[in-house]
Amino acid sequence: MTSSLRTRGLAAAAVLAVCLVRVDAAEPVPAGRLAPPQSFDAIADTHTRSAAIFTELGKVLTSPRCTNCHPAGDRPRQGDHSRPHQPPVFRGPDGFGTASMRCGSCHGAANFEPGRMPGHSDWHLAPRSMAWEGRSVAEICEQIKDPARNGQRKVEDLLHHIGQDTLVGWAWAPGYGRTPAPGTQAEAGALVAAWIASGAACPLK
Amino acid sequence: MTALVITINGRVHGPTEVRDDLTMNDFLREYLGMTGTKFGCGAAQCLSCAIIVDEPDGTSSTSPTCIVPAVSFNGKTIRTVEGHAKGDELSVLQKAFIHHFAFQCGYCTPGFLNEGQVLLERLARTPVARADVESTIAEALDGHLCRCTGYVKYHEAVRSVILAEPQRYLL
Amino acid sequence: MRASRREFMTWVTASGISLSLSRLAAAQEPSFAARETLPGRNHWNPASGGLGRIDGSPKVTGAKLYASDFRAADMPGWPQTTSHALLVRAPDASRVYLGLDLARLDGPLKPTVVVTADDVTKANLTVPDFYAGDLFCPVGKTPLYLGQPLAMLIFDSFDAFDRARLAFRDGTLVQFGDETGPVEGENYGAFRFTRVAGPTPQSPDVYSPILAGWVSPGRMQHSPLPVWEPYARETSKPYGKAARYGEAIRAELTGTDPDLLVLDRRFETQSVDPMFLETESGLGWYDGRSRKLELVLGIQSPYEGAEAIATLLSKAKAAFKPKHIEADFAYMGGGFGGRDHTPFILYVTLAAIFFPGRPVRLAHDRFQQFQGGIKRHAFKMHTRIGISRKTGKITAFAADHVLDGGGLQNFSTNVATVAAAAAIGIYDIPKVDVTTVALHSRGVTAGSMRGYGTVQTMTALETLIDEAAAALPLDPIAFRRRNALAPDGRTMMGNRYTVSVRTLELLDKLEAHPIWTARAAEKARPKRDGIVVGTGVACVTKDYGTGADCSMGRIEIDPQGRISIACDQPEMGNGMGTALASRVAIHIGGLADEVALGQLDAFGALALVTSGNSYTMDQATQDAVEKNSRWVPAISSATAASNGAHVGTHAAAEAARVIFRFGLWPAALALWNIPATDHRAEQWAEARWQEGRLVFADLPPLSLPDLAAKAHAARLVTGAMTHCFSRWAFASATFPIQDKRYRAEADALAVRHGAGPFERVARVAVAFPPTSNNRIGTTFGAQCGTVVRVEIDRTSGAIRIAKAYSVVECGRALVPEVVRGQAQGGFAMGVGYTLLETLPLYEGGPGNGQWNLGQYVVARGSDLPLHDLEIELLPPVSADEPPKGIAEVVMIPVVPAILNAIFDATGHRFYSLPVTPTMLKGALA
Repeated sequence: MTSSLRTRGLAAAAVLAVCLVRVDAAEPVPAGRLAPPQSFDAIADTHTRSAAIFTELGKVLTSPRCTNCHPAGDRPRQGDHSRPHQPPVFRGPDGFGTASMRCGSCHGAANFEPGRMPGHSDWHLAPRSMAWEGRSVAEICEQIKDPARNGQRKVEDLLHHIGQDTLVGWAWAPGYGRTPAPGTQAEAGALVAAWIASGAACPLK
Repeated sequence: MTALVITINGRVHGPTEVRDDLTMNDFLREYLGMTGTKFGCGAAQCLSCAIIVDEPDGTSSTSPTCIVPAVSFNGKTIRTVEGHAKGDELSVLQKAFIHHFAFQCGYCTPGFLNEGQVLLERLARTPVARADVESTIAEALDGHLCRCTGYVKYHEAVRSVILAEPQRYLL
Repeated sequence: MRASRREFMTWVTASGISLSLSRLAAAQEPSFAARETLPGRNHWNPASGGLGRIDGSPKVTGAKLYASDFRAADMPGWPQTTSHALLVRAPDASRVYLGLDLARLDGPLKPTVVVTADDVTKANLTVPDFYAGDLFCPVGKTPLYLGQPLAMLIFDSFDAFDRARLAFRDGTLVQFGDETGPVEGENYGAFRFTRVAGPTPQSPDVYSPILAGWVSPGRMQHSPLPVWEPYARETSKPYGKAARYGEAIRAELTGTDPDLLVLDRRFETQSVDPMFLETESGLGWYDGRSRKLELVLGIQSPYEGAEAIATLLSKAKAAFKPKHIEADFAYMGGGFGGRDHTPFILYVTLAAIFFPGRPVRLAHDRFQQFQGGIKRHAFKMHTRIGISRKTGKITAFAADHVLDGGGLQNFSTNVATVAAAAAIGIYDIPKVDVTTVALHSRGVTAGSMRGYGTVQTMTALETLIDEAAAALPLDPIAFRRRNALAPDGRTMMGNRYTVSVRTLELLDKLEAHPIWTARAAEKARPKRDGIVVGTGVACVTKDYGTGADCSMGRIEIDPQGRISIACDQPEMGNGMGTALASRVAIHIGGLADEVALGQLDAFGALALVTSGNSYTMDQATQDAVEKNSRWVPAISSATAASNGAHVGTHAAAEAARVIFRFGLWPAALALWNIPATDHRAEQWAEARWQEGRLVFADLPPLSLPDLAAKAHAARLVTGAMTHCFSRWAFASATFPIQDKRYRAEADALAVRHGAGPFERVARVAVAFPPTSNNRIGTTFGAQCGTVVRVEIDRTSGAIRIAKAYSVVECGRALVPEVVRGQAQGGFAMGVGYTLLETLPLYEGGPGNGQWNLGQYVVARGSDLPLHDLEIELLPPVSADEPPKGIAEVVMIPVVPAILNAIFDATGHRFYSLPVTPTMLKGALA
């Protein structure tokens, strides 16, 4: 018990250190929250600032709420521990499951709290080209800008996808037993807007 | 509360006032006493609670009931394990399950039966090649958990029905 | 442990509760008994012609069959509405429990009744010894274990219950205070099994548990583990002797002898859940006016359960004390041991008696089943084995086992001893020393589960054997063959098997199987990139029975030749009913169309009494009490310990033999006009059933209906019931029937003539197995061997079982398809145990109430070689070889065979379970 507490303390300190280095002048942000774009204003170099903003957005993109359905393979993951989805379901030809196991069989139009069941009318897997699972924020950034891997979207389209899309918005209201993505969808949208406005630069690694 | 009307095994039930947060599983088991549909995990992970949903276009699919609100079935037509046999005459798949000793405790059987039946109906609409039969069955049944049988005899039972009528189910 | 004297059926406890377990009368709704008697008269019987199980139709049509299917409205004579109980359990066992925050359950969510530790005390309930421990954690105490019940809330309506249970799921309504650390407890039992064989196989043992009795260290000091070694300080003399031999064996295994290959290994196994698909549930109704308690339960141990409930209420205050208890036992949606002696039924009882007048249902959801259901013991094993490099023979073996028993004792002591007795598997080892201890912990209670400790110890053994073979080096099967116990060899307890031992045949089968013969070629064959291939083998023996097993069977034939069977054993999916019908048909030529299981009320005519504890009784006591012809060592056993086919069907088979001998055979003689004086009248053993007709010599075959009609008309025996008892051998007795002395492997008998009532036939001589048999580990063993081929992906560590073959010897398979099904199911469970399933023992484990099947992964079809899993049953050694019990043994070799295949593929040995893709990936990196 003692040792695990100690480890946890160390881990928290490490995270804090990374934030300070990464965000430079920004105030440290409590876990589960997002720093607003203006907190990066102190970074003079536009490119560095843009990359720092994306790094902050990366907290959302690498949250299990996002990566679970942007999996590396064809099987989604589930839960805060990102375990392989049970029962085993696969993306199928349209990203909505296979002939026998359609996403919509279980995932209804909205979360169903008594069953701990997440839901949205458009519940499905991100295409294979948009796999984020296991990737670094820098890699996701390059991927998200690449029309060949982002569904032929312009970076401006990401503003809508991340800032307003209601399926993405589910990540901030995932229901009982799931940790929401950090911040709010509006805050994430603001980060996307600021990132685009600052030149949509990617972190180096 | 919603006044729920639902057709189950050809019979209209309702309108019944139900809470919007009542699960379909509890509606069947606690309100209607139809306990043929089982409760296994309450998390859509074992699918022993699966029923058949009949769509207006003549297609069918399975749905778990333990994590789905009853009201989402309002106006729909469903089949449960209690509805497969016509009187005392068991369905072909029911007989195949028995003849293959497909189940032991039988608790997962309603889910496997519904899934297998939906597969047969799908194959009747869109047949598959003989070479794909095993993988098609495996894919269809894989969501269902069984703790007794090792699944082998369920697969053999479903396959026997498909292979017995190749003109119906196979390309 | 048990009531000193029990009179079955008419049993009225000293406190005045009668326990009749009677069937319900038919009413508008089909009665429980009618629903559960299968397939039912005039219904299609799939078992006819071997086309299916007797419970086939109800199970594919969704008939009400399981305890979880019944509500008050399904029970004739009950009030129509069902109330629902919520059992709140402790997610924390290291802080003081302060109570429930029920203020948040107001309005429609308010429980009608709240039952706590206080209420149990005030009602003066008696916790049966087997379940000793607080039924509910009292406020102000630290829970004894994770998942211990804290309170039970009863709600009038389903809707209130349904909403309240949601309010409870995040645990915030349960309040805890100061950190105390977990509650410490004494261990549940410690034993040392030591055997030193004589110089030749024929000479007597120098020392063995059979010769010297089972020994335990007397001194625990204040450490959690027993102090095994310093026997000099040991005060208990018997232990000191075992310890001296044991320490001498260990001294040989220190590795100083260059001719001796010594391997010293540790192996750990995890806690798992039986994960039967139907969660535990029950229905109760205590009619406060008539003071009758009625229950619907689904457990493997009906008789024990009824006794436990009667004990619970035996001294209760008047308001909580029924005059009469009626319990109905339903089909089970799986059991695997986890429904044997489960405390759950005590809580169903509480739900009923604390809400008199209202039927109450208590049912676990899956989270609660993980939180409160019986688990498999986690083991830590330390093993040393010595093998002569010259002869390739194992000369000595020592092991130390530590079991985590969790919060209540339950079967921990028994699991420890059974596991230890299996430690040397199929081998003949002249010097063996095994210690074992089962510890109390704050984990969820561990108890009986398929394999019962032996899957743990034989996994450690069979992987060690593989390692030893590689180190010698010797071919793994040749090494096993060289060391296999001969059919007349002695087990590590010092006794011999009394059943067939066919290890060499199994090894031959495994060795000749294509999966094995092609192992090198398959490994060398180019595969897809990054796939490594391996093949593994294992062979085990598993006891069946517990050393005091009994069953009761009642057979009746009507004038049309229709057969009814009643049996005390319940059905958990293992095919009990079909096996019974099949075994009875061997003797009386027809398949029953009415089989009623889990019946305790059908045997009143036997008027049985019992006393003492059949496991610990001494010979003088048995000799004295057996003089009462109604006395038997035990009344009824759980369906457990793989004893369904062997013991469960035995009483019915003996009853069927009586009907044949004294009913159908004399009827046949009459129809053939053979007088009693004719020498052929005594040749009944030569008659055979062929396609439902009795065939004898060159006489015209007779149909069962004709024989039954004649037997009824002539008032011959048309019904029989027996009780049988086995203590590693069946009791037998002589009964006077029709002026003959008839010897049966039964200790009680009643018969019916024509349509008359059952009448007890008092035995005139009885031979119960000696009480010294209680020292035997087992004399009944069934064997199984498995070979598997695995393919492992280097990059991901994903493992696929490409092919597998299991060969089983099961004596006479009563229903071969059921045996195959058991073997296939055992294979799947073995795969899950090896590769998938694991439960943290304490915090973060299932006791936190947050576990379900997304986190606890069991084998699915896609984890198994569905079309490449071959099961072979060895034919019986003779036509009349009795059935053996195989439900457990079929799972066991699967686990070490996979581990050995993983070694073959990766060159890495894993010493803990489960082996995950991450571990495999690491080993291949």
